[in-house]
Amino acid sequence: MRIGLVCPYAFDVPGGVQFHIRDLAEYFIARGHEVGVLAPVDDLDADLPAYVTSCGRAVPVRYNGSVARLTFGPVTSSRVSRWLEEGGFDVLHLHEPVTPSASLMALWASTEPVVATFHTSNIRSRAMHAANPLLRPSTEKIRARIAVSEEARGTVRRHLGGDAYIIPNGVDTRRFAPDGAVTRWSGTPERPVLAFLGRIDEPRKGLQVLLAAMPTILDAIPATRLVVAGPGEVAEIASRLDPRVRSATEFLGAVSEEDKVALLRSADLYVAPHTGGESFGIVLVEAMAAGAPVLSSDLEAFVAVLGDSPSGRTFPVGDIGSLAGTVLELLRDPAERERLSALGLRRARSFDWDVVAGRVMAVYETVIEGADNSPVEPMLRAGLLSRLRWPMRGEV
Amino acid sequence: MDVLQVTTMIALVLLAVAWYLSYSASRLDRLHAKVEGAVSALDAQLVRRAEATLELATSGSMDPATSLLLGDAASEALERHTHHPLSHDLLDGQTFAGREGTETDLTETLRAALPEEAVTALRRDPGSPGAVALGRVEASALRVQLARRFHNDAVREVRRVRAKGVVRLFRLAGHAALPQVVDFDDDLPPAVVD
Repeated sequence: MRIGLVCPYAFDVPGGVQFHIRDLAEYFIARGHEVGVLAPVDDLDADLPAYVTSCGRAVPVRYNGSVARLTFGPVTSSRVSRWLEEGGFDVLHLHEPVTPSASLMALWASTEPVVATFHTSNIRSRAMHAANPLLRPSTEKIRARIAVSEEARGTVRRHLGGDAYIIPNGVDTRRFAPDGAVTRWSGTPERPVLAFLGRIDEPRKGLQVLLAAMPTILDAIPATRLVVAGPGEVAEIASRLDPRVRSATEFLGAVSEEDKVALLRSADLYVAPHTGGESFGIVLVEAMAAGAPVLSSDLEAFVAVLGDSPSGRTFPVGDIGSLAGTVLELLRDPAERERLSALGLRRARSFDWDVVAGRVMAVYETVIEGADNSPVEPMLRAGLLSRLRWPMRGEV
Repeated sequence: MDVLQVTTMIALVLLAVAWYLSYSASRLDRLHAKVEGAVSALDAQLVRRAEATLELATSGSMDPATSLLLGDAASEALERHTHHPLSHDLLDGQTFAGREGTETDLTETLRAALPEEAVTALRRDPGSPGAVALGRVEASALRVQLARRFHNDAVREVRRVRAKGVVRLFRLAGHAALPQVVDFDDDLPPAVVD
């Protein structure tokens, strides 16, 4: 199958959407499909994978309440058209199609069957409502809408109407599979290890909640170790800590992927005290895939990742007492942690790329079948008037 | 204003109106085409699901009682498909021919016939005819879900455009019947999902 993927954000800048597209493209290429990715780039000299075509330099613009690196304008437009023409794709898969960037332009110019994936859960309604009459005819070209989470699906329903099918982000779970090795973070019954991952100075990651719960935890199990992996200013946070908590806490700073995996594999308990801003709990999937028992705040995204018969425990967002109580309960109950670990390993498999990409492929096939069975689209009929209705490829 | 100017103005306005009507009609035409494609994709997936279920029933990997139940539900669905085919012009009085009931029955039978133990047993021997058929049931059931959702989204878009005043006033939809959403239980058996 010839698949065209369009990324609205600069491909050489790290981000969830970019990683998702990269992994999806590489998964399909490894299985013999022909895949092309169209994306803006930040650095024109950046070393891009062979399957990526640049549609121009991304420009920082204020949109939807934050600065995004997007691309637009006539140069982009003609590059989008050329890429579509040269690609001859069987299916076009656009990401964030209502973001004013490459995806929207590809949607406008496309004649292929279109699949769209919605990632964000925080589209500002004002912009969307204002632009709706403009966007509507374009969004009607989309044959299948995918949302990466329940929240993203809610956004689609509110702002575009209709529904979206949920396919979560994929994780390469095999990379995290437990190997039984003892590392410097392996705990013992007397000295259990709690793991935290995420920026330490970003309040939404919730490190402050966990640190506030530590005195109670140390009162009951004095040798507990808290291992914190994530970038941020350590000195500033450490200086404010109770000396007992300070000596129980190891700040690793930003860690390599290998260390992150090793930490999750060895920890007795992975704690995710996030207070908001998570639309998809990928870090929870990684912890579960590594066999770490999970204790997380009850954010909507996290509860969704843990599933209907939860493969992890939760506590109310920001509730320090409940967090400390549950940590102690779990640290004292190895059988329960064993059970959570087994449930987590199983749950994580449903987020593996094998499952996720299989579903995306099922969407492609369904959409292509629908397009093959459609009568000829009016815009493909020859004639003067039809040219006025939709901009034809290359006309822009 | 001289006559020429007035005539030009009127001509321009008429041209604009004509363009807008033509644009709206083609937009609606495109949406109708999308619904037609989606409904035939759904139809094809439903047939595949029933055939895969029949294959599972006759694979010899299930107990006779379960096989009989599955075979019965699958043949019922296939029979409805052959006896009440969707008309050639899908928008000409198109409804889903009352097949929702039989498809829901098939979904429920699959759920009852495939509890966790049965799925685990089938998957134990990945090469066996039962496991292969189960794989097909899974794949087609997932595609039924997708096709039905995509179809219903397309139907909602058509209905929204057709509710517009200009579309109704100028009868831009022609004789095409108003497409209906298709509603039936298409949940995958829970044991198959994980």
